[in-house]
Amino acid sequence: MKTITIGTAKAEGAGRFQGTLQVGSLPDGAPIELPVIIVRGTADGPVLWMHGCVHGNEYCGTYSIHELARSLDPAKVRGAVIALPILNLTGFRSRQRSSPFELFNNTDMNRCFPGSPTAGMTEQMAHVVFTELKRHATHFIDFHTAYTSDTRWALYADLGGEVSKVGRVMAEAFGYENTLPTPEGTLYNSALMAAGREGIPGYLVEAGGLGPAFTRETVLDVAERLRNVGRAIGLLPGEVTKYPPLTTFSNFHWATAPRGGLFVNHVKCGDTVAKGQKIGTYYDVFGDEDGEATAPASGIVLAINPGPIMPQGDVMIHIGLDPKRG
Amino acid sequence: MAKKIIIGTASSTKAGRVTGALDVGSAPDGAKIAVPVVIVQGEKDGPVLWLHGSVHGNEYCGTYIIHEFLRGLKPAELSGAVVAIPVVNVPAFQSNRRTSPFEIFNGGDMNRQFPGDAAGVATQQMAGVIFEQLKRYAGVFVDFHTAITPDVRWALFPKADGEVGATSEKIARTFGYRDTLPAPMSILAGSALMTAAKAGIPGLIVECGGKGPAFTTDAVRDASERLRNVARALGILPGSAKAAQPMTFFSNFLWVTASRGGLFEKTVSCGDRIVEGAVIGRYSDVWGNPVGDARAPQGGVVLAINGGPVIGQGETLIHIGLDPRPA
Repeated sequence: MKTITIGTAKAEGAGRFQGTLQVGSLPDGAPIELPVIIVRGTADGPVLWMHGCVHGNEYCGTYSIHELARSLDPAKVRGAVIALPILNLTGFRSRQRSSPFELFNNTDMNRCFPGSPTAGMTEQMAHVVFTELKRHATHFIDFHTAYTSDTRWALYADLGGEVSKVGRVMAEAFGYENTLPTPEGTLYNSALMAAGREGIPGYLVEAGGLGPAFTRETVLDVAERLRNVGRAIGLLPGEVTKYPPLTTFSNFHWATAPRGGLFVNHVKCGDTVAKGQKIGTYYDVFGDEDGEATAPASGIVLAINPGPIMPQGDVMIHIGLDPKRG
Repeated sequence: MAKKIIIGTASSTKAGRVTGALDVGSAPDGAKIAVPVVIVQGEKDGPVLWLHGSVHGNEYCGTYIIHEFLRGLKPAELSGAVVAIPVVNVPAFQSNRRTSPFEIFNGGDMNRQFPGDAAGVATQQMAGVIFEQLKRYAGVFVDFHTAITPDVRWALFPKADGEVGATSEKIARTFGYRDTLPAPMSILAGSALMTAAKAGIPGLIVECGGKGPAFTTDAVRDASERLRNVARALGILPGSAKAAQPMTFFSNFLWVTASRGGLFEKTVSCGDRIVEGAVIGRYSDVWGNPVGDARAPQGGVVLAINGGPVIGQGETLIHIGLDPRPA
């Protein structure tokens, strides 16, 4: 058994290990050290890499990873789980999507992979993480949240060959109905697609909502679905639960708000919408109705901005296109 | 006889609904900071009910309650008037923050800056312009706030001597949130509520819903209906006010801040009875290991609780109503 070393976390044999990986430093010179958890089994096998809070205020992912990691018994694991529950640590601390130290360059960490040792801060952090991911991972799962607590959908890298085949196995084992087999060109610099280009199949979970919006039930459900993925890829023993068939999309449509105002949404995640259908109402500051928002495309609502205020250009709705059932 | 109520560009001289804006300051680019004003005046004389929302910019639930209430008013039914500033701290509201982004030097909590100061910092200058109008016109004042989580439901009124205290208690009882604090006059100095009370204007602070988007349409409708009940009790709306439900009063509140930072999950909800030393939440570290419990420093009723999932050291952890007693 070869030692798995990530920063100060070293797994020489079976067991649970924790440590930190330095990915950068702050303006006062203090190190930015990401938490690393390794749960290693008694025999070699797949290495499932998971990370959460690539967007700093998407805490549901961190809690889901923690829940899973606590539930694993190394004696029953074949291979290993490597988890970085808080990737964008400075964004996490500041309750922001992006790092407060990233003022100039590409601020969205999930558009920074595979990263660069010579570019902006977030790209440098992404580079350190991705180097380790590439070295160790045979499978990858990333966690995001969208806005509202009812968010439940997923993506896998559909880049052909084994990556598509294994990605589909993970998607079916996790079992969120609404799933996007992500085509080449979409989310190009996400960790999901960058890993896919390196031959590492990956899955991205969107669950739970921004900041404190998620529930304990969602975290427990996600952890159980993750164990099912573990069973499906041979990491954990036991029979794979068969979830209902997936509904897949050709792509997604990400619509931003053409105007600002007070906003009340009228659709929920998972709803089917037709192009032109009313999805929300704008109000002015006096409380009078001031126009409506309509769906820019037909499909299934993957994410919706719940208001209560809507800045111009904020993400308003995310629609899965051309739903194909079964 | 109609009153003349002129606030900024909102000018009400007869029965009906008017809207306008009151300039309260200017932004660093010179653009005006104007707060929205709605005046609904009835055909008959009566008291003036003055409403504030989003004094803390990211407490949107209050703005939505005021809007819901305003949309239900018919001038023909009204005796007196309702004056509403549904968004008081406009720059904070726009920025999704508690305080104004232009308030860089000072504390900037607008509900500690009343009656304001024309020679003070940005938020004090804004508060000064608004309070001058409130003092001129308001007969009764209701201010809307939220705490952190969607299940927040409590209220407080100034425990003042004489008419101010008596009318404030009547408003609190007709609004009818079970958990209510008759607030000693020594606390919340600089709040619009206490400052108005000292100027002879009775009032109520409603704490309903949570921060940002953490509130429901049901909470908004319910609070708006309770506000209608207050308006009935004051004689502004026709009909008799619904009878008060049994309530719980407190001697004071205890505002507890977090002694440490970390990942945090609460284990109590708003309205829960707790005893001193009870576990109210659990901390875990970045690896997901439990690293300790948070405990109630005193017994009472949970008025507000931090919902996590992360908590910064010194952040509000819990707000406890002390010495609960039937009232």
